[in-house]
Amino acid sequence: MKKYSWTRVSWIAVILLMAGLIFYAKPWSKKSLPVNEFRFVIASEPPTLDWSLATDNVSADIIFNLMEGLVQYDADLNVQPALAEKWDISKDGLRYTFYLKKDVVWSDGNPLTAYDFVYGWQRLLDPKTASEYAYFLFDVKNAQDYNSKKLSDFNQVGVHAKDDHTLVVDLWHPASYFLTLHAFWATFPLRKDIVEKFGSPQWTEPATIVTCGPFKLKAWEHDYKVILEANPLYYGAKPKIQTATAYIINEDSTALSLYETGKVDLIRRIPPLLIARYKNHPDHRSGPFLRGYYYGMNVLKKPFSDVRVRKAFSMAIDRTQLTALLQGNQIPTTSWVPKGMLGYEPEVGLKFDLDKARLLLAQAGYPNARGFPQINMAYDTRDDNKVIAENLQQQWKQNLNIDLGIENQEWKVYIKQLQTDAPPLWRLGWGADFPDPDNFLNLFTSYSGNNLTRWKNKSYDAFIEAGAKEQEPSKRLAIYHKAQKILTEEEVPIIPLFIDAQNVLIKPYITGYSLNAMAINILKNVEIHK
Amino acid sequence: MLLFILKRLFISIPVIFILATLTFCIMRVTPGGPFDKDKAIPPEIKANIEAKYHLDKPPFINTPAFHEKKWINILTETQYFYYMKGLARGDLGPSYKYLGRSVTDIIRDSLPVSVELGFYAALLAFLLGVPLGILAAYKHNTWIDNAAMFTAISGITLPSFLVAALLIYIFSIKMGWLPAGLWDGGWEYKVLPTIALGLRPVAIIARLMRTSMLDVIKADYVRTARAKGLNEVWVILKHVVKNSLIPVITISGPLIAGIITGSFVIEHVFAIPGIAKHFILAVTNRDYTLIMGVTLVYAVLLIIANILVDVFYALVDPRIKLS
Amino acid sequence: MNEVTQKKSNSRSSSPASSLWQDAWKRLFKNKAAVISLFYIIGIILVAIFADVLAPFSYEVQSPENRLAFPNTTYWMGTDILGRDLFSRVIYGTRMSMSVGIIIAFCSLIVGTIYGSLSGYAGGQLDNILMRVVDILYTFPSLLLIILIRVIFGPGLFGIFLALTIVEWVSVSRIVRGQILQVKEMAYVEAARAVGVKHQIIIARHILPNILGPIIVTLTFEIPAAILSESFLSFIGLGLQPPFSSWGSLANDGFQAFKSYPYLIFFPGMAIFLTVLAFNLLGDGLRDALDPKLKNT
Repeated sequence: MKKYSWTRVSWIAVILLMAGLIFYAKPWSKKSLPVNEFRFVIASEPPTLDWSLATDNVSADIIFNLMEGLVQYDADLNVQPALAEKWDISKDGLRYTFYLKKDVVWSDGNPLTAYDFVYGWQRLLDPKTASEYAYFLFDVKNAQDYNSKKLSDFNQVGVHAKDDHTLVVDLWHPASYFLTLHAFWATFPLRKDIVEKFGSPQWTEPATIVTCGPFKLKAWEHDYKVILEANPLYYGAKPKIQTATAYIINEDSTALSLYETGKVDLIRRIPPLLIARYKNHPDHRSGPFLRGYYYGMNVLKKPFSDVRVRKAFSMAIDRTQLTALLQGNQIPTTSWVPKGMLGYEPEVGLKFDLDKARLLLAQAGYPNARGFPQINMAYDTRDDNKVIAENLQQQWKQNLNIDLGIENQEWKVYIKQLQTDAPPLWRLGWGADFPDPDNFLNLFTSYSGNNLTRWKNKSYDAFIEAGAKEQEPSKRLAIYHKAQKILTEEEVPIIPLFIDAQNVLIKPYITGYSLNAMAINILKNVEIHK
Repeated sequence: MLLFILKRLFISIPVIFILATLTFCIMRVTPGGPFDKDKAIPPEIKANIEAKYHLDKPPFINTPAFHEKKWINILTETQYFYYMKGLARGDLGPSYKYLGRSVTDIIRDSLPVSVELGFYAALLAFLLGVPLGILAAYKHNTWIDNAAMFTAISGITLPSFLVAALLIYIFSIKMGWLPAGLWDGGWEYKVLPTIALGLRPVAIIARLMRTSMLDVIKADYVRTARAKGLNEVWVILKHVVKNSLIPVITISGPLIAGIITGSFVIEHVFAIPGIAKHFILAVTNRDYTLIMGVTLVYAVLLIIANILVDVFYALVDPRIKLS
Repeated sequence: MNEVTQKKSNSRSSSPASSLWQDAWKRLFKNKAAVISLFYIIGIILVAIFADVLAPFSYEVQSPENRLAFPNTTYWMGTDILGRDLFSRVIYGTRMSMSVGIIIAFCSLIVGTIYGSLSGYAGGQLDNILMRVVDILYTFPSLLLIILIRVIFGPGLFGIFLALTIVEWVSVSRIVRGQILQVKEMAYVEAARAVGVKHQIIIARHILPNILGPIIVTLTFEIPAAILSESFLSFIGLGLQPPFSSWGSLANDGFQAFKSYPYLIFFPGMAIFLTVLAFNLLGDGLRDALDPKLKNT
């Protein structure tokens, strides 16, 4: 053993070290940035680019630039033709006929046909695909049965290609929001040959994926960046930028530092603490967001089983304090449907009224909070949630003399707890899947899986069902007015607090990037003037 | 030697098996699953998803099989058994969060990045920690000792998110010398994360080096060497440093494994696509297979590191025989 | 040389055990960094105890009109986003951070010492098994455990103590085991064993007193480690519940805004820095002082 002397070992070590260095050393990074590259930040690795499976905003940030649907939104969220040139809706609202544009080709040169839609929907609904968003098509005849394996013949599902360019859809019942669903990624067309040839999930890799939107997927360095490149075969006006790079950055403050040092051109999240600081920055832009923030109450649990306590809690909150705290152009609200949607009625709901709140609390048997049970308010761990909870805790203490505990939980634990056994008082938000009041109000129907308040009201349910079937906007408005009154004035299972807003920083040399209330990230009009 | 390595690897198999079992149990009793989201999924769709990922079977014990008297199925028709069966074949399963990717893919993509970063940090730690320790011990109880140890220790006095914030503030925002994040290949992207990650091991190594050298410096053979009138620098280098390095090498195995996997904060703050952030993200996403995957990677790294240290040990010190 | 002879004569005059500690004290007091650290730590502990007296404001009362004020004559360290006085919050944070540090260090020390002694003293197959258990716990994804403990015991202080103890005791047990293995081989222990002294007595009389020094040193290193671990928990959102706050959670609150409101991160960060530094310097000093091999230096 003596022959293994220290010197020899150290020589081996040095050689190994040098070899390692040479192996790892890479050529000096070349500073030649593509002039036409737009760089933006996404908050996490996209869980998938397969639009039958995607369920999250980050995947959508990419997919919405790779693909289009039958329709798309304009900046004000009105439905405009996209892959469909026009459509007919039958009088009874049950049959939709879409006429596709004839000049649309996929990125591999093959023409787009109605069969691509039929396949896309079949795959979405196929129980083996196990798509979470299959329910988006449950208004379509037999779709739900096919998805839950009660029906195995897809031909009986209400979607058919009449010819290469005509798609016919049959619904169970009229659905006033149905058209907007076709701007949503889950309903986008799919290439059967590609998916079957490369298999799921490999077909979404840059080498194999075939799309028909303004951009193509050029590269996807997992956990680091996604690179899009202009699609020369796109049917519409070609993008002005050659490439768009999405950097995956989890930490908002890092994204901000990179923005300030010129490494990225757009960030779409500003740490809550800093919004006030950047509000007057020339690069700052703010826009509405169809997202509500509320505190829910479990109406099966004391003390919130008493509607007077629920009302008192809602009336004792000065919502402007919260928005002053957050500083991000959030809109205080007492009603539920957000601004920018049919049915936004700021005057509805319980206004800040201390005397009445105290009176209601006394009537409920807790004068000046005497005898009020010790309960906790729950939130999921996040900086802004914490600040809001602490402020609300203070307001309820000052205004109603109620001492509430605060309890925060890690997100998954929290959501599981809400769904199985919700605590008396908890926070959540709701973002629109499509810009229709049904998407917001449906949440609190007795049959909604998302109604965690356990509140059930037959007349509310009836209004929501009637609203969905009604085609005439003014009549819908009247129906939703009544529904919102029940929800936020009479029964009050929730305390709506504010409507969220988008706050972004975008470099002054970028034009053509507009904010829409659905926060859809559209890059096709972006231009760089450097 | 080969026999020794094989034997050690063989012994680690039960350890890995128990670790996997324990992790699986704790993971499954922790509330919240990979598909629990704020937007509720209709029950029939949830059934489809669970069927696709074998989550429809009971996690550990199949009680329906018990009633049907299919005794063997009680244990085999379970998620645990399916996972272990896959594991035995080297299949770590699909990720439940990143729907297109297998756990093996994720590890293959992210581990090299963390290894690279860990390599730089370890290099920094040795190049800085060892001299600081030598200096402190050689000038024991002088101001140099204090200064060297103060420098070394200050690396472990701040939570790493504060260290990262401080580095970014000074070198990226104020000075504008180095990027505040990303990992675009150039050396300039690697400086700040390396420092932020390497400071802690610098302190550990410097401290260990100092203590061990203080022990060695008083050993008889050092006195003898000095008495022989050998050159002081030669004595220190040849006799003292060489022998004091042994404990440092002993600890370097787990230390490097720890550097590679323990850099969550650094990878998170500097937006580096490494494996360490999966140790946290997999848990918060309840990405069951990925949690298992990264835990096993860490265990294997640790085992390999310890074996390497023992082998190295034997090479350096002829008195030690591998058995 | 004079000093050394003096020391030797001192030790002859008193009983050997007490002289060891007296020597250690003397050596410790020669180490300026350690002494300053010791006084600093005593000061910090006093701050933690008398937080109610020292804090000029309440730690939870919010004043929206004073939010995000920079340090000034009223608010020495400025105010946070809800208009709470940061100085008062750092003072109260001292109480939280110090109790987290001390309690967790003590708990993991007790568990780790018992486990490590058992393993080291028993040796053989039992030692082997116990150490494999430690290996497994060492690699176990502790975040899962921490989340689960929070679910079971609620997100209060107890959950944090328990969670961090479970994470921290493992390394202590390894250190203690290593020490025991060394002491076990010493002649007097072997002799005691040879004459058939009971194991409990050997451990209590002969082994533990001899490793008390290293254990105390470990304690001084475990306290700052626990403080840092708690701040990591705050960073990933599993730290203390509001309105309580530790230095770690305060620093984390300010982390995202470090460019615009550096004071939010500076003061709590400074508190962590100084305290962890002090414990480490004291620990180093203690180790030098308690190491009999270094007597003559």
